[in-house]
Order: sequence, then structure tokens, then C-alpha cells
Amino acid sequence: MSEFICPIIDSKNLTARGIMNLADNLQQQNKLNLIWLEATGCSGNIISMMNANNPNLYYFLKNIVNLKYNNSLMAAEGQGAYQQFLNTLETDFILVVEGAVATKAEGRYNIIASNNGLPVTAMEAVKLAGDKAKYIVAVGTCASYGGISAARPNPSGSVSLQEYLKKNILKVPGCPGHPEWIIGTIAHLVYFGMPELDEQGRPIIFYGITIHDRCSRRSYFDRGIFAEHLGEPECMFKLGCRGPITRTDCPIRKWNDHSNWPIGDNTPCIGCARQGFPDGMEPFVRY
Amino acid sequence: MANTVTVNPVTRISGFLEIKAEVENGIIVDAKSSGLLFRGFEKMLQGRAPLDAIYFTQRICGICSTAHSMSSSLALESALNVQPDIHSRMIKEFVHGCEFIQNHLRHFYQYTLPDYIKGPDINPLYGVNHKDFRLPKYLNEELSRHYVDSLDYSRRAHDLLATLGGKAPHDHGIFVGGITSDIDISKLAKLKSILSGIGQFIEDAMIEDCNIIGQYYPEYYNLGVGDKNLMTYGVFNYPAFKGIHYTEAGIYLNGKHEVFDSVLIDEDIQKTWYTSENIINKPEGPYTEEDLNKQGAYSWVKAPRYKGHSMEVGPLARMFISGEYTRGISTMDRTMARVLEARKVIGIMQNILELIPQYQNKQRQYEMPDKAQGSGLIDTTRGALGHWLAIENKVIKNYSIITPSAWNLSPQDHTGMKGTVESALVGTNIEDINNPVEIGRIVRSFDPCISCATHVYGKNSASVEIRIM
Repeated sequence: MSEFICPIIDSKNLTARGIMNLADNLQQQNKLNLIWLEATGCSGNIISMMNANNPNLYYFLKNIVNLKYNNSLMAAEGQGAYQQFLNTLETDFILVVEGAVATKAEGRYNIIASNNGLPVTAMEAVKLAGDKAKYIVAVGTCASYGGISAARPNPSGSVSLQEYLKKNILKVPGCPGHPEWIIGTIAHLVYFGMPELDEQGRPIIFYGITIHDRCSRRSYFDRGIFAEHLGEPECMFKLGCRGPITRTDCPIRKWNDHSNWPIGDNTPCIGCARQGFPDGMEPFVRY
Repeated sequence: MANTVTVNPVTRISGFLEIKAEVENGIIVDAKSSGLLFRGFEKMLQGRAPLDAIYFTQRICGICSTAHSMSSSLALESALNVQPDIHSRMIKEFVHGCEFIQNHLRHFYQYTLPDYIKGPDINPLYGVNHKDFRLPKYLNEELSRHYVDSLDYSRRAHDLLATLGGKAPHDHGIFVGGITSDIDISKLAKLKSILSGIGQFIEDAMIEDCNIIGQYYPEYYNLGVGDKNLMTYGVFNYPAFKGIHYTEAGIYLNGKHEVFDSVLIDEDIQKTWYTSENIINKPEGPYTEEDLNKQGAYSWVKAPRYKGHSMEVGPLARMFISGEYTRGISTMDRTMARVLEARKVIGIMQNILELIPQYQNKQRQYEMPDKAQGSGLIDTTRGALGHWLAIENKVIKNYSIITPSAWNLSPQDHTGMKGTVESALVGTNIEDINNPVEIGRIVRSFDPCISCATHVYGKNSASVEIRIM
């Protein structure tokens, strides 16, 4: 249906609903394409995206972007799926990468597809798409900084997207990224272009303050009242809380429908959205 | 004439999987399942603080992170000799139950359904290669609507998890000794309300949708059968509490039920990109090193075996062994068992809340022993998961993991015995060799998670590791 520009002439029998669907399809064609590559990681950021609400994943895919390639969600498989990736390279598109880039053994620690019988490494796909993308967004801590995939002794030779591509990219760290940080960043690119970024490339609207700045337990800290173990209601600074050095809006946004967050669950922030996670953030719990 | 059919990527799974099938006269005569991601968690965990393993190992998997916090906290409880009271154990399993619901909803609607119906009009669901869509338009539209509706319910399942676990994926609440948060009246009301809403959706939509798929694709009750050897480590195992008991550990081997014994588990690396002194090792060790140039190897996933057999694990294995669902073993039975299990788990979770309407967490400081070892074996969404842990000088010396997807997606072993999925594929009739839709349907019924497919690496031969597949 999408080949006609005017839906009326050949479609006298169409219902109003049918015409609206055609119009929707036309609108779809005008949306920016999105390639969401999963690389060396846990594929947890796309799962986090499924936790989005207002807008939810469906609205995001229907109204904000055209998701052309994603391993977890796409209906196509095998060569047909990879072909969609290749076809999208010739269009205007946003590239999202979750997971670090495994560089050991020419990238063979992470094969994401087979192209006419030849293995395609994540490294190669990231390069192909990274060279042509209009915007590049690292989603999650692995793509942003290497994260847990690059934890010592880094068996897969994983590096961050920026280190691999050697160009400036947007970063939406977090383990996983909060769906509202991800959608907010992409929506900003679609509607307004580049958001205001900090020196590391993170959108300031989501990463402008430390957790400690807005922590709901801050008054305990100020009065020197500290929890002695997990499960207590006071400040967890002495248990190793990384809130003072981790910049996200978790305390006010919270997670999963604004329902709870690690500190609200009587456990310390482990700095999962921070450069240096996990090696520089340990021990997560200090007893 | 034989043709090799390659499906890579097998999309709508977690992680990276390649299936290669030899097809002769339209029939699959041989199949190889290759896990194509290696991260090396086992090696990374060495030398870290033992309690950190609970949050660390969750990062193995984005869709089943709570599985790892469960196993890991159980392994630590056994190593530290912590025995939580029964309510603390049950509430921890309640949090784990949230993940079952989340996973089963997403696996059925987002991962499985696009194999059988034309999805809603959003982009990643366009561009399917095959034409084998059989539902009449009105049913296709109804199931397609449910695809969209389900997003709301799987999201709420994670809200449920976060209410007691802090956030999801990668929760904070599951810990040694139970969970870190409390249940008061407002949380209780919230939990019950969300559970009831999801339960209604499973009852009204999901089970019926699965029945519809089964009616229009009846041959899938005969496809993807495999060796019919099943295993579970048990989960929600409280025989003294009617309504909270699901299944104990068990084996179904060569048509007979057997008692499970963890000593009979080992791992074969013949066809994997690892080398070690022996081809077969116990879960606890010794270490294996990567070798991408190894002759004949084709996977990062090791081949765990029970008494030398590859075993099927997952919802069907649990439902079959516990006697809840015994219609058969096949692609459609696997999907049906998963859907029915979602209802079963909702019921168990509701009953846990009836028994424990209020809860005060039992956290305290834990003393780390100089030297200890422990293991945590439990069934998780995708099946039997084991963590094995050794502590020395108060840090992790070795950590080994065998995941459910290692059981289901393993390659051949040194005897030539195929992995579970490989054998389920052999004998399948492929209608159109250019669009072998049957392969994806069979493989997805096992809910593969290759993100969990990481293994050991290292030079320090005294120690071992962690295998996560």
C-alpha cells in the first residue's frame, strides 16, 4: 500500500479507518530510522525499553522512530534480518548500540549475523553503521564506558563505543539505561536535534546532578545517621553507597513506573551508571 | 542432495545464536547450534568480594537477571552457612516469580508470536521472509492486539519485581538471608492488585491465544520433539504448603522418572572453543581456556550432561516432571507449558501473599569466612541454573555457572551425542528451504538465552571458574 502517494483514487472502497492507516504509513516513512545493535552485553537495555510507559515501547516505535534492526524484537531472521540492517545503512538513521565492542581476535568473541555464509562480528557491524549514522547513541554502561563486559581482566577485550569508533557520541549510561533516559534522548534527537551534553557526552537533563544531591536519605547523611547493614532506613554511605559520585536523576525519577529504586529498597547505589563500573565501584556492599 | 541451511541471527532470543542444518530431501539430517558470544564472567569474578557476586552475576543476562541473583544468593547462603527462615525464603522466591511472569509474557508475545501471526503495524515486525501465516484475519488481528496489550502487563511484572527488588532488570533486593525490603499494607495492596491484573490477562488472553496457535499449527505438536530427557532442580518447592508447592528436583530419563543427584552433572568441551587437560569436567573445575582455532569446535556454549545425557530444561520439563502437564513433548507443548506455567506461578505468588501479608526484612551484617564453598541450584524461567562458588582469603577463588540455555543449546559432546535443540531439529521436514521457518519456531520454543553463554578464561591453573552459558 505504501507505494501510492494519494490513497483516495484507487481506494473508493476503503473505510475511513483504512485511509487513516495509509496516512499513518506515510507518516511512518517520514520518521527517522533506528538501528539498535546489541553487542557484547546482556541485552538488558532493550528489555529496559520494554518497561517504558508513557510513552511505552509501542508508541515509541509507532510515532517516534522506525526501528529497522534489533535482534530481540525483529520478526525477520537470518539473512533477511541482516539485509534489513544493510538496507538501512543507505538511509538517514540513528544508531543505538548496547553492549561494549569486543575487540579480541578481530572481534570474533561476538558474532551477530551471517552474511552470505560469512560471519559478521559486532565490531564490524558497529563500524559499518557508525560510519554512516546521523547520530550515535551508546545506551547502557557497557556501550558508554566498557562496563561489566570490560571488567578486569577483560577476557573479551571489550571497549566502549567511543573508544572503538574514535568519535564523539551520545552516552546514556546505566545498568541498564532507564527507559525514560533512552527515549528522552532519542526523542530529543528526532524533534529538536542534539540535547545539551556534559563533558562526557551525557544529556544534562538526566545526568546533571548526583544521586546524593537529591537523595531521599540525605537528611540522615547530614545528621550523621548511618545504616549498619542492608535493610535499614538510614543513609548507606558507610556501606559503600556510590550516590555521592554517581550522576543520574534516580532519586527523583525512580525505576519501573517510578515505583522504587535501589536506595528505596534499603540497598546502596553501586554506581552502575558511572565510568569505572564495576571495578572502581567495588565492593558494592561494604561489611 | 544435501543443502546447508544457516539461520544467523536467530532473532527474538536473548543473545547471539546460529543454527546450521543439513537438509536432505526436505528433511533435516544434522543440526549444529552455535553460541556466538563470549564474555568470561567466571574469570572476572575471581578475586572479587563474594557478596558482590549477587549483583555482578545478574549482569550476565538482561531478561533473566533475577535468576542469577537467586542462584548466587543461594550459593552464598550455603557457603556462609546462613539459613533464612521459611518466610524469607518464600518472599525471595516471590520476587523470582515476578521474573517468571515478565519473561513468559515477553517470550510468548514478543519472541514467539511473530513466528505465527502477522504482527502489529510497527517497523521491526515488518519484513518477514516466510508466508506461512494461517490465522483468519479476525484472529490475527486479535492476537496482534494482544501483542501490544501484553507490553503493559510484562512492564507491570517488572514493576512488581521492583516494588520488592528496587529495580529491574538487575535487581538489588534479593540478597543473602532473604530480601532487603519490607511488605507493609500499601505494598501488599499494590502487589495484589498488579498480580490480579496480570493473572486476568493470562487467563483471558494468553492461554487462549496459545490454544489458537496450537489449533492452526497442529503439526508443531509433533515437531521439535528431541530425546525426551527432562530435568529440573526444583522451584517453589514447599510440599508442606499446599498452594505454594510447584516442583522438587527430578529427572525424566529414557521414559522413567528418577531422583536427581547433582553429582551426576559434568561438562564436555569437545566441540567448544575451549581447551583443558580433560574433555569432561565437573562443574567446579578445572579451568578451560579459549581457543578459537580449535579443530571441529563450533560453539562458546559448553555441553553439560547428566549421566552422559543431554537434558531438556525449562517450563515443559518442570510441568511434565511435576505431573502438571503431560500431554507430550514437542514445540507446541513447550510453548503451551510455558503459558500454563505463567498461570501456575501467579497462583503460587498469590498464595505466598496470603500466607505472608506482612514482612520485615531479616538483613544483618555477614561475616566472610576465610575459606568456604557453596552451591545454589534452582530452576529459573528457562530451566535449571547452577552457581558453584569457592571462597579463599575472603574473596572469590572460583565461581562456576551452568545456565539453562547451556543444557538446551549445547553442542555435541565427545561421544557424538547432540545437544537438546540439535536433536529436536533432526528429522524436521522443511517446506521451503529458502525460508526455513520451522527451524526458528522449534529453537524459540526453548527460549534460548545466549547472553548467558560465557565461559572461563585464564592461566591460573589452580583455580576454576565460572561458566555461564
